[in-house]
Amino acid sequence: MKLKLVLSVSLLTLAAAALPRMANAEVAPLDLVQPIADYKIYVSENLETLVTDTKAFTDAVKAGDVDKAKSLFGSTRMSYEAIEPIAELFSDLDGSIDSRADDHEKAEKDPEFTGFHRIEYGLFTENSTKDLGPFADKLMADVTELNKRVTDLTLPPEKVVGGAAALMEEVAATKISGEEDRYSHTDLWDFKANFDGSRKIFDLVRPLVEKEDSAFVTKVSGNFDKVDTTLAKYKTADGYELYDKLTEDDRAVLAAAVNTLAEDLSTLRGKLGLN
Amino acid sequence: MTTNDNKLVTTRRNVLFGVGAAGSALATGMTTARAAEKQGGQVTDAPVSDKTQERQSFYGLHQAGIVTPRPAAGMIASFHVLAETPADVERLFRTLSSRIAFLMQGGTPPELDDKLPPPDSGLLGPVVPPDNLTITVSLGSSFFDDRDWLAPHKPARLSRMKASRNDALDADLCHGDLALQISSNTPDTNIHALRDVLKNLPDLMVLRWKQEGSVPVLPPKPDGAHESARNFLGFRDGSANPDANNNALMDKIVWVPENGTEPEWTRGGSYQAVRIIRNFVERWDRTPLGEQERIIGRKKATGAPHGGGNTEHDVPDYSKDPEGTVTPLDAHIRLANFRTKASEANLILRRPFNYSNGVSKSGQLEQGLLFICYQADLEKGFITVQRQLDGEPLEEYIKPIGGGFFFTPPGAQDESDFVGRTLLEAAGHDVVRKS
Ligand code: HEM
Ligand SMILES: [Cu+2]
Repeated sequence: MKLKLVLSVSLLTLAAAALPRMANAEVAPLDLVQPIADYKIYVSENLETLVTDTKAFTDAVKAGDVDKAKSLFGSTRMSYEAIEPIAELFSDLDGSIDSRADDHEKAEKDPEFTGFHRIEYGLFTENSTKDLGPFADKLMADVTELNKRVTDLTLPPEKVVGGAAALMEEVAATKISGEEDRYSHTDLWDFKANFDGSRKIFDLVRPLVEKEDSAFVTKVSGNFDKVDTTLAKYKTADGYELYDKLTEDDRAVLAAAVNTLAEDLSTLRGKLGLN
Repeated sequence: MTTNDNKLVTTRRNVLFGVGAAGSALATGMTTARAAEKQGGQVTDAPVSDKTQERQSFYGLHQAGIVTPRPAAGMIASFHVLAETPADVERLFRTLSSRIAFLMQGGTPPELDDKLPPPDSGLLGPVVPPDNLTITVSLGSSFFDDRDWLAPHKPARLSRMKASRNDALDADLCHGDLALQISSNTPDTNIHALRDVLKNLPDLMVLRWKQEGSVPVLPPKPDGAHESARNFLGFRDGSANPDANNNALMDKIVWVPENGTEPEWTRGGSYQAVRIIRNFVERWDRTPLGEQERIIGRKKATGAPHGGGNTEHDVPDYSKDPEGTVTPLDAHIRLANFRTKASEANLILRRPFNYSNGVSKSGQLEQGLLFICYQADLEKGFITVQRQLDGEPLEEYIKPIGGGFFFTPPGAQDESDFVGRTLLEAAGHDVVRKS
């Protein structure tokens, strides 16, 4: 009996020793309530903007105003890209709003290919609004539906906190290459929105992490700053330069910042004690 | 039951002590039974290797992976480097060295709270085996050119690879600030190592391109003799390579010498030339054997040169064949090495792997040679040899599509040292050697 006791105690000590970097146990679930509530407001605001902007954008498409529709494309997407981790909770809508040609077997010609990028293809590659009317209607309906569904949604904390990293993973895996907005090359608008969306989440939970691990907070905000400085070089009067203007060196700077943010933010959930 | 058990024990004793004819018969019977049992493995059982504990040392005058015998799997990974300041370059070099030292030694990565991502990918299991791994760090021309404080210390012969006349270079497969040559017994060990490096240096290095390759393994020869592996043209590749065990020869051919025309910090380093050379294998396989052998200049089955000799280790005598009646004057091996006194200055040490990448748009196999060679002088070595090869008949079957030139700094001497230290010191950056 005694022997067994000694054994189990030493096992415990061992286990503790093997876990030198305990996830932050100081954060109580309650501490997350306010940041999540604030994030919900951020999401709602973005969705409202999205609905308004999409209305103007799809109206221009339906009115056959190619130039106006083109000029609204980049900015309209930003409020969607900023809250993508939440929008992606509804995979049916994310598919019809934001899928790319390569998600579909017949690419651009696939009838299932709808949403922003289908309209982008018509506007920028075919330089026309011909046949885009039904896609515009569908996009407007999908965006409205998304807004409605999110209003009724209780945001799962791990999805919200995990969203900061998820946005960076998306950029790292399929955006940094300029393949998202391949017809319009407005990728830098998306980048900006993705980074802002990620930073928003980070900023909301930042006070919870700061006292435990201030070096982490400094490093992450430093990398967000680096992204901002780099993107600022490409700012124009009404938005951002086209992706082609991005230099090889700046792309590498962005890629490294994204990869580092993805690595660091991948620990955010654990630091907050979330599974 | 009891009797049976007893019998088993007896049998085992007999095996252990090898007594009596009856004993050995029983023993043989049991061995067969065991073997049969072994064959009853499950479809997804891991393939077994007794080489996972093979280990190369990271420390030494030279980096590992150059004169180290080439294992079955290799990779070149090329990076864009974001470290600009001396402090960041030092962190890059130190982190690389400490990761490489760990990976080559093998061991157990730290355990973290399970709410955090694990520090190791885990693809080799909880204990990382060395598996004969080497990781060789090399620096591209742009690494120096893009940093004012390093530019004056660039190795004298390091240049950005220029296209040769048969090249169709793909910009996405060329050059780089830093290259890692990763080789080991298995592709999995190489990939594990690459992922470890990527995870540990996300802010200082961005992956630009990589090419993996392999060489076919052979059963050991009863007499212990060595043979060169074959490339995707079916020929032995490496037969005429200089002897990597001959230190004096390596000092001449591979390692940057003392008192040379090179900056002092490069001593003990080497120049690395990498080429991704596509082979048109379908066409090659439709070429008569005799023509294949004339194009290469050696016999396909044995690897022996033309005109006598039965093994790949025989050497051709061009002095007796000035017209090229035995070995055509434009045969690959004849253009690659004139075998004169003067051409000794152009010897290189090749360490290539075969690569296979899928299918071309035309439905042909995308495969070829991940050509890697090392030399003390890049200009007299690869660049001269390639110039001699320009226009060779083999060109009809090959198309270089990528690669780059790099300089491989000298090795880290011990645990307090790191690869790249001599460069930083030469550039006037104070480096503390801590252990
Ligand atoms: C896909 C491309 C290539 C193939 C299939 C190929 C194949 C071969 C073969 C079969 C041999 C004879 C066996 C041996 O000594 O290893 C050989 C020898 C050699 N190759 Fe290549 N090779 C290729 C590219 C190159 C390149 C790019 C270079 C250097 C610029 C090169 C330099 C040499 C040298 C120096 C020899 C030894 C010649 C001698 O000393 O006799 N090879 N190669
Ligand atoms: Cu998107």
